Amino acid sequence: MSTCMKATLSVAMAAAFLVVSSFAPALAQAADAAPYQVSGGNKVDAHTLSGWRTWRALACERCHGAAQEGMVGPSLVNSLKVLSKDQFKDTVLKGRIDKGMPNFDGSKMVVDNIDNLYAYLKGRSDGAIQPGRLQEMDK
Amino acid sequence: MSFQSRLTCLAGCLAGSLALIAGAAFAADSDTAKLTKDPKNWAMQAGNLNNHRYSELKQITSKNAKNLTVAWTFSTGVLRGHEGGPLVIGDTMYLHSPFPNKVFAIALEDQSIRWKYEPKQDPTVIPVMCCDTVNRGLAYANGKIFLQQADTTLVALDAKTGNELWKVKVGDPKLGETTTNTPHVFKDKILTGISGGEFGVRGRITAHDINTGKVLWKAYSTGPDNELIVDPNKTMTWTDGKMAPIGANSSLKTWQGDQWKLGGGTTWGWYSYDPDLNTVYYGTGNPSTWNPRQRPGDNKWSMTIFARDLDTGMAKWVYQMTPHDEWDYDGVNEMILADIKVKGKPRKALVHFDRNGFAYTMDRVSGELLVAEKYDPVVNWATHIDMKSGRPQVVAKYSTDKNGPDVNTKGVCPSALGTKDQQPASYSPRTGLFYVPTNHVCMDYEPFQIEYTAGQPYVGSTLSMYAAPNSHGGMGNFIAWDAGTGKMVWSKPERFSVWSGALSTAGDVVFYGTLEGYLKAVDLNGKELWKFKTPSGIIGNVTTWEYKGKQYVGVLSGIGGWAGIGLAAGLTKGNEGLGAVGGYKDLAKYTELGGVLTVFALPDR
Repeated sequence: MSTCMKATLSVAMAAAFLVVSSFAPALAQAADAAPYQVSGGNKVDAHTLSGWRTWRALACERCHGAAQEGMVGPSLVNSLKVLSKDQFKDTVLKGRIDKGMPNFDGSKMVVDNIDNLYAYLKGRSDGAIQPGRLQEMDK
Repeated sequence: MSFQSRLTCLAGCLAGSLALIAGAAFAADSDTAKLTKDPKNWAMQAGNLNNHRYSELKQITSKNAKNLTVAWTFSTGVLRGHEGGPLVIGDTMYLHSPFPNKVFAIALEDQSIRWKYEPKQDPTVIPVMCCDTVNRGLAYANGKIFLQQADTTLVALDAKTGNELWKVKVGDPKLGETTTNTPHVFKDKILTGISGGEFGVRGRITAHDINTGKVLWKAYSTGPDNELIVDPNKTMTWTDGKMAPIGANSSLKTWQGDQWKLGGGTTWGWYSYDPDLNTVYYGTGNPSTWNPRQRPGDNKWSMTIFARDLDTGMAKWVYQMTPHDEWDYDGVNEMILADIKVKGKPRKALVHFDRNGFAYTMDRVSGELLVAEKYDPVVNWATHIDMKSGRPQVVAKYSTDKNGPDVNTKGVCPSALGTKDQQPASYSPRTGLFYVPTNHVCMDYEPFQIEYTAGQPYVGSTLSMYAAPNSHGGMGNFIAWDAGTGKMVWSKPERFSVWSGALSTAGDVVFYGTLEGYLKAVDLNGKELWKFKTPSGIIGNVTTWEYKGKQYVGVLSGIGGWAGIGLAAGLTKGNEGLGAVGGYKDLAKYTELGGVLTVFALPDR
């Protein structure tokens, strides 16, 4: 990766964080409501579906397991019970390099879908969404 | 090569100035091949140039193997998957670990550590190696130890002191390039490869000067002819039942646009070398993304056996086993060179147990396809290999390309782990048979559209894997194979994939390890003679050596690798919800992480 690209990325990242921080109060208020909609365990709203697609595209199951129950990486079913949304975003975008968690701020798909990814994994952690393939709920 | 055979060769095959050139080349040869001829040593990862993993030692026999006991043990201090095995040269053992890639020189006399080396590596390579940080071991030549670090640095150490002599970087982890293979010393060169088939890297092999690390040649698996190092008129491949030149742009015309630049064809397997033919043999991996619709064409030369001239890198022949891969059947598995009778006729053969479930016997001189047969009867993705075209006859319902993205293709055998992955087989010249550690696992495979981002996973498929249905219920077999006829001689079922490299010996014992952690000794009929539970699951390769008149057998345990990881993917079948008892959960009943070398010998009488 060139220095130029890195600079662009960090700008993008800073922008992402600006967005996050400026909307933080609103998010905190909304925290009580589930960030996902689900019916029948496998039909979800369009945002959550994009979150699952992001999970799938970045091959997160290689470390966290097909059912998010952990393998080399920790169980996200457990982690999402503990991490705040901001901590979650921070971990995914910046990584925990020394523990083997990559920084995904270089992936446009992750940056664009970080809220959707959170929604999907929160749904998995809550036990509301089933592991595996999802489809969009009827509108 | 002995002095005697050098003379014969010089007198017999060369004359005049040619002989002088050849003489100069011989003078620069490493001592590695010579060291492998003394069975007291284990001087290469495979024991010899031919990938035999066979030893002439016969103190331990099928009669007394039941008495084997632990002689000593050694912890690497590292968790995660421990592949490969130790080298032994004279009175010293050289042992590696997975990331952070420690190297130990251990005195066989008292097992004290003569020196220890630990490279400083950027920890960002760990996630790029996701999900395991394996290393397949060291190489030795002329008083040097060679380590291929995870971060793609190839380093030469002084075997006496552990001091660094030279280093060279062969890839860029920021692009998803890492290294897990052992480097291979052949004649005066050291050869290494690249990993990262799931990150859109472009596979290649490089040959280096053993004294300086200087790159002597670099040959890609995909791309234009000059970068492949092929001669369109002289590099041959099996075509319509005979060998024919590959022609111009053989790779480029099998890819859409410039997809070859992300073409995979990585080179992390076990290479071999025939000194008489001066030819090196190795295989290439999957063509990057696992969503086949995204890369129409045969995707040459991924999934291919390459035979190259060692001095120039020029490809003599190629053979693509799985054109347009739709299942992740990497072609990197070891190329075993054996002089055997094939269909009754003596041949200089190359035998290759491919991930795709077929065992190939080739003429290693000409590259002709001689035998291609399933080495696990459950293999179903292709009915057979058409011996005229050399192509697998794919069964439509198992074609993940035909079924397309977002369709779950179910019940494909073998799984992406292959009927065998990197875990190397052993060839016994005494029996003429191959002893093969195998997987007995099938899969559901659902490809999906994926975008390439440098340094990010470029996979594009969801898999679930499970023990082959309607069989013995286990996920592995240990088999004996006749490569001359393409027939299985016997098959011993195992609960889990056999992910450990085998060893056969002149004592008529065959050794292998299991994922539960047992090191097992079997006789030539596959009858279990002895087993011992090591501290962790075994994905290392069994080796043997002699010190002060005693034969030892050693193996690294330390569960991990794709076996640990891959079985984990079988934990649940997503669509069917939780509750299925998957392979990995079962494995957790038997073993935990931890790298230990366990060394066995017969008790003193």
